[in-house]
Amino acid sequence: MKTLVREFVKGIIKENPTFVLALGLCPTLAVSVSLSNGIGMGIAATFVLIGSNIIIALIKEMIPERIRIPCYIVVIATFVTITELTMKAYSPALDRALGIYVPLIVVNCIVLGRAEAFASKQSVLNSLFDGIGMGVGFTLALILISGIREFLGAGKLFGHVLIKGFEPAFVVGMPSGALLVIGLLLGFFNILKEKRQ
Amino acid sequence: MNDKLIVSTSPHLHKKEESVAKIMWLVALSLLPAGAAGVFIFGLSALWVIILGVVSAVITELILQVLTKNKITILDGSAVITGLLLAYNLPPKVPFWLPIIGSVFAIAIGKQVFGGLGQNIFNPALVGRVFLMASWPKYMTAFTQPLPAGVGLSYDAVTQATPLAILKETKILEQLSYWGLFLGKRGGCIGEVCILALLLGVIFLLAKGYISWHIPVSYIATVGIFTYIFGPKGLFSGDWLFHILSGGLILGAFFMATDYVTSPLTRKGHLVFGVGCGLLTAVIRLWGGYPEGVSYAILMMNAAAPLIDRYTRNRVYGTS
Amino acid sequence: MNLGQFLTIFISSVFIYNVILSRFLGLCSFIAISKETRPALAMSLAVMFVTTMSSLITWLIYRFLLVPFGLTYLRTISFILVIATFVQFVEMVIRKTSPPLYRFFGIYLPLITVNCAVLGVAVLNTDMFFVNGKAVPGSFYYSVFQGICVGLGYTLAMLLMSAIRERLDFCNVPKALKEFPLAFIIASIMSLSFMGFNGFKF
Repeated sequence: MKTLVREFVKGIIKENPTFVLALGLCPTLAVSVSLSNGIGMGIAATFVLIGSNIIIALIKEMIPERIRIPCYIVVIATFVTITELTMKAYSPALDRALGIYVPLIVVNCIVLGRAEAFASKQSVLNSLFDGIGMGVGFTLALILISGIREFLGAGKLFGHVLIKGFEPAFVVGMPSGALLVIGLLLGFFNILKEKRQ
Repeated sequence: MNDKLIVSTSPHLHKKEESVAKIMWLVALSLLPAGAAGVFIFGLSALWVIILGVVSAVITELILQVLTKNKITILDGSAVITGLLLAYNLPPKVPFWLPIIGSVFAIAIGKQVFGGLGQNIFNPALVGRVFLMASWPKYMTAFTQPLPAGVGLSYDAVTQATPLAILKETKILEQLSYWGLFLGKRGGCIGEVCILALLLGVIFLLAKGYISWHIPVSYIATVGIFTYIFGPKGLFSGDWLFHILSGGLILGAFFMATDYVTSPLTRKGHLVFGVGCGLLTAVIRLWGGYPEGVSYAILMMNAAAPLIDRYTRNRVYGTS
Repeated sequence: MNLGQFLTIFISSVFIYNVILSRFLGLCSFIAISKETRPALAMSLAVMFVTTMSSLITWLIYRFLLVPFGLTYLRTISFILVIATFVQFVEMVIRKTSPPLYRFFGIYLPLITVNCAVLGVAVLNTDMFFVNGKAVPGSFYYSVFQGICVGLGYTLAMLLMSAIRERLDFCNVPKALKEFPLAFIIASIMSLSFMGFNGFKF
């Protein structure tokens, strides 16, 4: 039980996929323009992560080593397609907002990375908790970045204006601002890491 | 100039007797006429922008250097230059916090993040300006008319678009005399409008050898030639003199593109740099969405400068 | 099919909507491999080859397989399989025909499979050059050309960034910002300066 909790927690802080492992950055930066988009992507990616981790851990014995990457991709792509279709059906606005970044979850380094580094070597239960942990860590990172970007870049949170008369810096909502925010956050977390040692 | 043996980055000292600080302060001095002209033309609000810009730049550098326990170099004049250049790139009537935020960003992200003087890749003032432009476009594009003659220094101002903006909107050239453009009787940013005042500083810098002619001349010539060829009424009908005298070209070509730190090291590199800036500026002015392209052009060429250096390295004798 | 469209595709893909600096595709490899110029150039050329060829193949699959049989929901899976297979194929060919080149590319070659830029441009082509499942006139040529241009845009960003980072090796960057944070900040400023191309109209 302790191991399971540990697998879950490591994805949130110690091995946070965004800030520590620097994975899955493409969608992070593109989608974190608003909190609702960020959370939507986080949930979608978590679903795919959990699904693919479980299946790959289940069938890992059956996959020949030479073609393992294409096999993982087929599994991941299946879950991504399910997510894509579900989103198109039940939440078309979110689907439009996230655009090509939903199908791009297939090549999200986090999903493939965990499949290769973890699910292919560990038990189903461990993989499940690893998937949940990484997904939650990813979603939390998205929340942090989207929150900053929506507030500074549009003066809103969840689409609501917070402070009257606050003039947002539009650039924060643009690609350039995204790169800047994550660069500074990475630097900030580096400083925290230094202080702890 | 033989720089095969130098392993450090700019600024490289040409004359042993003059320290980097002394050169910086003299460059700042050469910028003053343009600022004074801007204040005279647009009124006291311009003076406030300049003061806020310079003070914020210096204080930001001080705070950052204290926080990172580095040597405090605010007295070397480089922060002052950045503050001045940023202010000169702003319209005369902006909210007080705009030059402050711009200077903070310019020094923090444009300069200190790279390790301080001599190590930045991009011109800090332009980094600040482009940041402001992307963040608060409505303030950065609200220009005022020059004060009517005889009013002297005052706070009144009437909104008016710059000649380049009018050209972009209506495709018709403003009926301004070249002499008017030269003296600064037009809307625009504080430090860019009075060509006469700018040239006073330029002559001083050239005479002292602090800048060389290669970058400015290749830059301005390229803009002139390109805008002449691709004129509004077909080939070879462009008003090249208008383009040379308007916008931030003179300010940019002589005071920002020539920055030692952010431009290539060799003479050949300088010419490539100048031509590149010129092409980008002309293309943006003629076909881009913005009326003026100087800031973006210089920053893009700043990014390319290390690459240019790599390919214009002097060959060492004996190697292929 | 008009020439202006080709020019627009070129300018958009290379400058205005630069695949790395504006669309964020291929960021992982961009941040990781742009430390030195030679590997950066090698990776860029490989990526350009893959984006071009996969744009071609995925277009054909979409037009003659997925659309006629109503299987467009299989777009993601089929495209990524095509790309993975193609990269595997390229790897084998290079290993057979030029072992030094294969060694030169090293791990970069298989890494291209998960380069968002490749799948991204394939998906983008079908979004941009198909309307309600029908190919717009010239769609094939636009798609392949866009594949080439996305590769060029990738190469441009990589070359600029690697030269910059090589130069920064001489500088004393604050410790917390070394490597990744600074790379992001540089990319941010580059992206800001590329905004100068916004609103481009011939």
